[in-house]
Parts: sequence; structure tokens; C-alpha cells
Amino acid sequence: MIEQGEIAPNFPARETGKATLLVFFETDCPTCQVTLPYLNALKDSVKVVGISQDDETTTRQFVEQLRIVFPVEIDRGLAVSRAFDPQSVPTMFLLDKSGRVERTAVGFDKAALNDLATTLGVPPIASEHDGAPAWKPGCGSRHLEVEATANGDGPHTVRFLRVAGERASRSTLNEGQDAEEFCMRHFGDALPVVPPTVERVEKMLSACGQAPETIIGRIPPFYGEATVEKIAANAVMAGCPPEMMRVLLPLVRAVCDEKFNIHGVQATTHFAAPLVIINGPVRQQLGFWSRQNTFSNVARANSTLGRALQLILLNVGGARPDGIDMSTLGNPGKFSYCIAENEEENPWEPLHVARGLSREQSAVTLFGGEPPRGVSEHNAQKGKIILQAITRALATVWSYRACMVFEAVVVLCPEHVKTLHRDGFTRQQVRDFLFENTGIPLRYYRDSYDDRGEGTQMTANYKEIMIDGEPCYRKFLAPESLEIVVAGGTAGKFSAVIGSWATGARGSQMVTYPIPD
Amino acid sequence: MPVTLVNPMNETVVKAEPAPARLSSLQGKRIALLDISKPGGSIFLDRLEGVFRERYQVAEVIRTKKPTFTKNAPDEVIEGLRGVDAVVEALAD
Repeated sequence: MIEQGEIAPNFPARETGKATLLVFFETDCPTCQVTLPYLNALKDSVKVVGISQDDETTTRQFVEQLRIVFPVEIDRGLAVSRAFDPQSVPTMFLLDKSGRVERTAVGFDKAALNDLATTLGVPPIASEHDGAPAWKPGCGSRHLEVEATANGDGPHTVRFLRVAGERASRSTLNEGQDAEEFCMRHFGDALPVVPPTVERVEKMLSACGQAPETIIGRIPPFYGEATVEKIAANAVMAGCPPEMMRVLLPLVRAVCDEKFNIHGVQATTHFAAPLVIINGPVRQQLGFWSRQNTFSNVARANSTLGRALQLILLNVGGARPDGIDMSTLGNPGKFSYCIAENEEENPWEPLHVARGLSREQSAVTLFGGEPPRGVSEHNAQKGKIILQAITRALATVWSYRACMVFEAVVVLCPEHVKTLHRDGFTRQQVRDFLFENTGIPLRYYRDSYDDRGEGTQMTANYKEIMIDGEPCYRKFLAPESLEIVVAGGTAGKFSAVIGSWATGARGSQMVTYPIPD
Repeated sequence: MPVTLVNPMNETVVKAEPAPARLSSLQGKRIALLDISKPGGSIFLDRLEGVFRERYQVAEVIRTKKPTFTKNAPDEVIEGLRGVDAVVEALAD
């Protein structure tokens, strides 16, 4: 790779005598998708040029979806990439006026981005609490990729994952053979499905404009290749309209994000299932429902998207509920588990904005969660009393004496939100209050309780606090362990707590992906 | 008109590896015990190690551990198992 102090090779849109920030990226690299929007804030301080390692169509979609405002050039034949030789993407090269490399930055690194901003004399561009991780490694640079071949496993062959698979096989039924019955016998789970006929799958494919062979992700535990065509076939079976492909492709990318760890979520004996949360204008455009019964069978969009994801996990990933998915009791969300945030009743910033996207951007968020547990509070006149009721439910997440390693999504109903907002609570203050006031009384751990029960053996890691005059162990690690979503109907003072599976780097972390317009 | 369906199932070809032959005896063998990091796994493996050494005279017991039970074993853990005669994995709980 070209290093600091070296004179940079030529590149498109070069302007002599002008400092330039070059960023090499791939459109399907999740780290590039996170990084590039941050660079918009630098465009007035330096000439920013994106170098895309992908074709014109996908690059244009990338630029439009992520609202990139600086010029982007296509690296045809990857000639520029070969000349600069970044080992991974995103890689940034800051060139001074003479064309010498002043500094480089690799991957997504908030500290490095802020250092870059300081060098350019502008305020920090990556806030610590904007929902994005502090650091995220990138993907291998395209010019170093070698396409895998059927016979390419020789001892000196470098083997990379391929980016396109084969077309799906076809089965032509005999005259009079029942298609529904065939599907029940060969595809899917216990529920009937819409037969994925060639004609129906073609409609899905034409709605997304991507090559059917393109591999969007590899789904654990069998790491089956989720091609656009396989996703389309499962979407047909779930009853999705063709426009849903726009949501399904980023959803499959999100579910394959290593942070989400679907491998563990699928194979655990716990209750966890991926909860899909939809934000932004796509809610109205495709009919996602965020009001009463949002967790239920209320809207085609919610029901079929959640169902399509489950069918993809089952059929492509292989996590069959009667096989490798060993959940002890399961989760009704494995039929479909998809809600939309009721942003219209949310006086604060919605989930996707809290996680770093703009309000006008549509987004899909995934959380590996239990079924919702209800919190009723109809009599409280004050927001604080509502939150105290929620802390009691939060205290039981996972198991009542287990602390510090689990998280939760708190789904606040509009009536509770109204009271909280009236009392002056911000979204962050709600989080802080719930964090500060959720604890497990130390008396539950006294000798008489010393039965080696779950949560009693890790108390050395717990933090002791006082809640209402009683010594307690703090339940959660940080306010960020609690995510706030507003959803549900405007009648009824019922909120809900959704406990996590194992979390953090050793478990499953919430992920948010943008949905293209 | 006959109906043609698109296969929605995983068709990725996976290369099958034959299972290695079972050991006829544990005596003098190198045995690895893989703890997947679940509570209780070490209790089971401690006992198993004692039994292997005392009753079956294994030559060497190698203890290794996954960083987390929620994910596949990383390459370095798998590499550390190379050369042993057998591996016992404790799923635990």
C-alpha cells in the first residue's frame, strides 16, 4: 500500500495543487456503508473523492441511498486500486497540495476520523454516542480478491468467498400435482406457503434490479448462499409484494452482520428470535404498521417481511425448528417478528436517528430478543411512576439475579410517552432513569439464597448501588444496554420489555442498516 | 400448463468429510478437551480428565477453550487441536 510520505499515483478527478481526501470503497461492504456518510462533513475543507470498486449502477444506488454529497469515481478495471494497493476498504488517503500522502486511515475508526477532521481544522465528525461502533474493520479490497472456482482448491490457490452463486434449480410438477402440497412437503415450515412459481419469482426479481446470482449473504448455521433469487423465492412463499425486495436485501445483509451473530441466535436453546424494527418513510410507502397490534397479525407488510426472514433463515440457513434450532420453548416470533416504530407519536428522535441515520432515511434494525413482556401502568399520574413500573419488568430480564450481561428493548406505548414527554423526560433521560433505577436487592443473594442459582456466581463483576434506600446490584452495564422504541396504539397504557439473548462482542449486538429509497 | 417452481432451499454444495476411525484404545493417546465456555463445562471436563488419566492411562490431556459458546471456534482454537488423537467437546449447561 502507498504509505505516508510517498507521492500518490494518478487518480480520476485529480486537481493539481489541491489537498484531496481519497476514499476507496465497495458498495456491499457494511463498514464502507457506515464510514462514507461521515466524510460528507469534510467536503468544504478538502476535496473528497470516493473511488468505487464496483460498477456504475450499484455505485449510483449506494451514493443515492447513503446521500453521499462528494464526487465518486468508478475504478474501472481496479487500476487505481492496484496503484494505491489498499489491503482493505474503506481506506482513506489524505494527500497534501503536492500530492504527497499526508496520512492514511483504514476501516471505520471514530478516533481516526476525528483526528482527520482536526488535521483539516474542522470540529470532530464522529460523535461517541451516535449509535455507530467506535471501530469496525473493513472488507478485503476488491483488487485482491480471487474468484473461487470449482477446481480451485490446490495447495497454492488463495480461496476467497465468491460474490455470485448458481441459479436456483427448478422443479416442474406433473399434470394435476398440487403445488401447495408439494411446497409443504419440500419447502418451509409448518405453515402453508405461496408456491414460488417461476413467474412469481421473476416479478420479485424485476422489482429489485439485481442479478439473481448475486450473493447477498451466507446464512448460518449451514452458511447457505442467499442469492437474490433464493431471497426472492422465499419472499414469494411468505406472501411479500415484489416491492418488499427493497427491504429484504438490506435485511439479509443485516442478519449476516457478524455483530448480530445469527449463528448463535439460531442455534441457542434460549427464546431469542430476530426482531425486525422498521423506521423511516418506507413505513408509509410499503404499509408497515406501527400502531395498535403492531406485534400481531395486523398488516401484510409486517407479517410477510418477518415471515420471509424466517423462511430464509430456515430454508437457506438450515436452522430447522425440528432440527438444528434447539430452542427449548421457541418463540411465536419465529412465525414473524416485525414491528414499525410509531414515529408520529414519538416526540423524541426515532430509533434509526438515535443510531446515526437521518430521519428521512428508511432503516431496518435487528435485535435478538425474547417475546415481549407487558407492563401495565394505567393509574400513574407521573412519568417517573411509569418508568418505575418498567424497571420491575427489566429486573427480570434473562433471570432475576443475572446482571450486567444482558440488554433490553423497551417499547413505550404512545400514552406512556405522552406522560413522560409532558414531565420533561428526553429519550436519553428515560434510558438513564431506567438504568439508574433497575437493580436486584442484595438480600436475594444472601446466604439463605446461596444456592448457586443463576446469576449468583458472578457477583464480583456486579456494581452495588442504592435504589430507594435499598442496597442493590445494578442490573445493566450501561444506559446504552437499553434501547427505546415508541410503538402501539394510542389507547391503552401498556408498554413492553423485550429481553435480549447473550449480548456484546460475545453474543448478539443490535444492527441497523439503511433501506434504499 | 405445468407449474414450475424455483427451489428456495440451500443448494450450496458442501464437501463432505468422512468421519475419522474410532480409537480402539485410549492408552498412550493425546486427547484434547474443548470447553465451549458454558457454565458447568469445566466441571464435566475436570472429571473427564481425571478419568482419562487414572483409568485409561492417556499420554496427554490438552485443555482448550472457545472464547464464547455463541460463535464458531476461531481458527487459533481449531489449529491448537491439530495432532491430537481425539477431541472431546463439552456442550455443558
